[in-house]
Amino acid sequence: MTTAAARPASLLPTLPGRFYADPALFALEQERIFETQWLAVARTADLAGPGAFQTAGAGRESVVLVRGRDGVLRAFLNVCRHRGARLCEQPAGQVARTLQCPYHAWTYALDGRLAAAPNLSRMDDIDRAAYGLVPVHLTEWLGYAWICLAASPPDFAAAVQAAVAERLGGDGAIDAWSLGTLAVGRRVTYDVRANWKLIIENFMECYHCATIHPELTEVIPEFAGGYAAQYYTGYGAAFGDDVQGFTVDGTGGFPALGGLGADRDRRYYAVTVRPQVFINLVSDHVIFHRMTPVAADRTIVDCDWLYAPSVIAGGADIGQSAELFHRVNQQDFAACERCQPGMSSRLYAGGGVLVPSEHHIAGFHAWVTEALGDAVT
Amino acid sequence: MIEVCAADAIPAGEGIRVDGDVPVAVFNSGGTLYAIDDTCTHQDASLADGWVEECAVECPLHASCFDLRTGQASGPPARKPVRTHRVVVADGIVYVELSSDPAAVPTAGSLVPS
Ligand code: FES
Ligand code: FES
Ligand SMILES: [Fe+2]
Repeated sequence: MTTAAARPASLLPTLPGRFYADPALFALEQERIFETQWLAVARTADLAGPGAFQTAGAGRESVVLVRGRDGVLRAFLNVCRHRGARLCEQPAGQVARTLQCPYHAWTYALDGRLAAAPNLSRMDDIDRAAYGLVPVHLTEWLGYAWICLAASPPDFAAAVQAAVAERLGGDGAIDAWSLGTLAVGRRVTYDVRANWKLIIENFMECYHCATIHPELTEVIPEFAGGYAAQYYTGYGAAFGDDVQGFTVDGTGGFPALGGLGADRDRRYYAVTVRPQVFINLVSDHVIFHRMTPVAADRTIVDCDWLYAPSVIAGGADIGQSAELFHRVNQQDFAACERCQPGMSSRLYAGGGVLVPSEHHIAGFHAWVTEALGDAVT
Repeated sequence: MIEVCAADAIPAGEGIRVDGDVPVAVFNSGGTLYAIDDTCTHQDASLADGWVEECAVECPLHASCFDLRTGQASGPPARKPVRTHRVVVADGIVYVELSSDPAAVPTAGSLVPS
């Protein structure tokens, strides 16, 4: 095993193996990271009309998002105030006017207020707002609903928007892609048998690109050098000279999105928004990943491919376009799953190492250990 | 006669509950006022918490509808009708004259201490 004293300067340590495999540490991460940070949990266009609802996992909680009759999207803990039954079991659906508990029929208006319950009028000391559903903070940005379970959430601009601006090299730089107006062309949900941090670490580096991403390195030859776009600030990785578009075979994609200047054309940008979002930006589409960790060794990843509405409405074939990152995803997640068993190996008790093109991942590790606080030091 | 409220106090599409030995609900459906028993005949739910649509109120708990003119239930789970009561508006005040028929008792969930 490599001790700190003996470690060459080229190498930085990773987190120890238990951080990726220990259920107790995972529970602590749920509590101190996923229940305190902003999480993107739904595409707001999927909750279009009054009564449309979706449920989402957030830390150890289940949350229900529902659009009110006033058009406002709200989030609540998905737990009945009466005896704690889970309110909505369906991942998504449509109700007419209320969310009703299937146990004793406590019935909540879409703004959360307790609207009716058996014998309720004989209990006139019950305040219907106080015994309504418990609200969860919700902010809409980039066409996604971001929720936060913290009593006082971190400032959204500082915690989320600044991370995106920093990576893209400017406040509001992401607005050029007008994510809020784009249409979902494809969505794939990946059930990844790996710790969420392995997925983030993988996304942050490109040391693996030449080995596992043959199609991607055809389109972006510089990735074969091992430096991810995320290694830099404000940097877009250039397409190869003979490549026409960000497609699985390098054929042409679609016209550039309206707000993009020529300087953003033929480039690939990548952003990690801790703790669970990846945004991949090219000129004609955006690939948006949302992670939901469900166990120390299991993470659900929802990936949306977003295109100009005219592309989707016009019935264009997005097959070659979406296939490129679908393959990248499969290759990446297979690599993460390959690492997961090793996290419990005696070899990895002290962790592994980061090479120089991965050194920026140490910043992520520091963020994790700081969030976990004294519990891990 | 029971005095209920001012005639303009119930907006269209809404209803209010009037407490009493047998609670009564007064609804405004399309500008016309109707009074029926407030308690659903299925379980103890307040119909004033329900939704008014086209001369009927939908129970907030299990969605049986009651015709505001006749008191008839549209279909299960409620089976028995609610009583209807006469509404009188005089000098801008709404009054209800209670029906002399016996009120229905909910068939379910009625083990309530009174
Ligand atoms: S637990 Fe929900 S109504 Fe009883
Ligand atoms: S309580 Fe009215 S239908 Fe069940
Ligand atoms: Fe990769």
